[in-house]
Amino acid sequence: MKIKQLIEKIEGEAELDFTFKNGKIEDVQINFGFYRGIEDILVGKDPRDALVITPRVCGICNHAHLLASVRALENGYENSGIKVKISSKANDIREFTLACELIQNHTKWFYMTILPQLEKLLKEQSGENYALKASYLSSKITKALAIFAGQWPHSSYAVPGGVTCDPTYVDVMQAQSLIDESIRFFEQIITKVPFEEYLAQDSLNSLHEIGGDFGRVLYLMGMNNMAQMGYSYDRFIVFGTCMFSQPGKSMATTVSNVDVSYVEETLQKGSVAKAVNYKQKLYEVGPLARAMVAKEPLIKSLHKRYKDSLITRVFARVHEIALLLDYSKNLLNNLVLDEPSCTLPNEIPLTEFEGVGVVEAARGSLIHKTSVKEGKIENYEIIVPTQWNLSNGNVQEKGIASKAMIGSLTTHEAEFIFKAFDVCSVCTTQ
Amino acid sequence: MKKPKLLWLQSITCNGNTHSFLNHPELFSILSHFELLYHPVLETAHSLEDLNAKRLTCDILILEGSFKKNGVKKLGIEVLDVVEYYAKEAKHIITAGTCATFGGMFKTYDPENISGFCYDEEEQTSRYEMYASKLISLPGCPIHPKWLSYVLMMLVYDKKIPLDTMHRPQELYNITVHTGCSRNEYFEWKVDTKGFGLKEGCLFYEQGCQGPYTRGSCNKILWNDVSSKTIVGTPCFGCTEPTFPKTALFSTKTNMGIPAKMPLGVPRRAYLTATGIAKSFKIKRFEERIITYED
Repeated sequence: MKIKQLIEKIEGEAELDFTFKNGKIEDVQINFGFYRGIEDILVGKDPRDALVITPRVCGICNHAHLLASVRALENGYENSGIKVKISSKANDIREFTLACELIQNHTKWFYMTILPQLEKLLKEQSGENYALKASYLSSKITKALAIFAGQWPHSSYAVPGGVTCDPTYVDVMQAQSLIDESIRFFEQIITKVPFEEYLAQDSLNSLHEIGGDFGRVLYLMGMNNMAQMGYSYDRFIVFGTCMFSQPGKSMATTVSNVDVSYVEETLQKGSVAKAVNYKQKLYEVGPLARAMVAKEPLIKSLHKRYKDSLITRVFARVHEIALLLDYSKNLLNNLVLDEPSCTLPNEIPLTEFEGVGVVEAARGSLIHKTSVKEGKIENYEIIVPTQWNLSNGNVQEKGIASKAMIGSLTTHEAEFIFKAFDVCSVCTTQ
Repeated sequence: MKKPKLLWLQSITCNGNTHSFLNHPELFSILSHFELLYHPVLETAHSLEDLNAKRLTCDILILEGSFKKNGVKKLGIEVLDVVEYYAKEAKHIITAGTCATFGGMFKTYDPENISGFCYDEEEQTSRYEMYASKLISLPGCPIHPKWLSYVLMMLVYDKKIPLDTMHRPQELYNITVHTGCSRNEYFEWKVDTKGFGLKEGCLFYEQGCQGPYTRGSCNKILWNDVSSKTIVGTPCFGCTEPTFPKTALFSTKTNMGIPAKMPLGVPRRAYLTATGIAKSFKIKRFEERIITYED
């Protein structure tokens, strides 16, 4: 039996084609709609125009695209012999604003997708307006971001050599108080656990103390066998030098090195999204992957018991909010303002170069590749995290999310498993 | 009083306008004045399938994204077909963002076939005549959440919204991004910035800032309630204009050392005269750093 279902409100839409056999899902094809042509739009443009054009790939992770594109330029300059040494101030500000975007994303996903969808699936509706909470925190955290980046969405404040802003300690204090407010929200609304105590957890034993909205999600998931569903291949990959870890891949209990040059994109029949693999194998990317590669104690402990199940995947993303808040607070505390914001001149006399930029975006590793000839972009490639998680796989293997949905009894359950990957349709159909 | 019915529809978009609006600190107070029929990410009573069935009626239609006649389908139905149905129904149409208004970023992929709803850059589309009487243009990439919210509230309270020739509210678009910029003194005295990453100096002369000839209130009603591109030293890219996006956005095009494009409405002769006078003085304060952190 085949069932076609449109999934809405996931940064655009996706169509899932389910095949049922003996009352269970046997196969799922994931299809995305309209191709918007950002990679083609970039061709022939001034190389730095990518800093303005690529954020427009996505309304929710635009800042990650900006940072991937600036890193691609800087990498290209370096490949052509220009030394790029950005100040630790500029680096920390970039890290801070990226962390803010991730917090914004994860909070919206938790309150606008996971909580309402879970309640709907289990018919446990509380009637609460969760979007109000999402909007409260995301408006605070993007305000902190905008103090440095000017605005969110669609800032272009990162330029080769650093950042355009020149903040004062008054600005830093304003951002600090917004981070404190966000931490207070995490303590009092999301977990009902003092922040320091939350961060100190390193094993499953203390999880029952988590209350608040996260506690409710964990309780509902636990009561409904969600620690025993949604398994994928238990293979993870990280390419960005991110806040908590270096690049690497995690399989079974081993973490090993990766090289971005082995990443391969392939066309998919019937979908405008390209698939992507690493040495012919599929990998899961995102917060769970980052935690597995970094051997984050609490997530490792959860994973030891529940593997890459639905509950582990959901937990890792919410948990990352805490790690990001702690990280951003430290970044601001240690920010030294008397370093230069930007160490390169406006005009760089380079007309030919190739560069790769990698960033850990909300949904996982984001890769930009630029090649420039005669002062213009000749080719630009964008590989987004969703391509890793939501491809339809290859001849050997089904895709990561498809695999996780297989075995589900209903399309509603499968839809929830699908959404737990934090699906972004617009990124996938650049 | 019956709440006006609000419908938010998307075509070819990045969702940036949706997320910009979600940042509004008073989002739900604003929305409490409306019955929200459909929204791209907020929970609503209706689904895309309900919309496609064309049985709903709406009072205010918000459009996001650029439009293509054929080939942009949701559930097998052309988006433009559904949009036009509700556009005929609606009392007001708001094109939210530059894509929906003029075509914007996504138009550049297929300029022949992709445009805004009523404008194709500066030209009126064939739909213009039909909808002009109820059209409000709110360009910006993305839309500023407060500009949209204040226009929505003006509709609720039945306030007069004076529009310019391209249907943009004059209160928001009859000033330039330059208005209120924290670097205005440097512009007045023609002191350019020494490079990116400095709070001193104007970005109009070398860094490509389009603020002086771009319509919008970015430096009057700040972004995320706190800042703007030019405040943090990023040039204005003219994202509210029908010509967005231009190319070579980080450098100023010049003629004989003078910016090729003049501030809005300023004759070149007037600009050159004022510049000549300003530049004949060297003012110490504008050559110095505002803050020094050394002991």
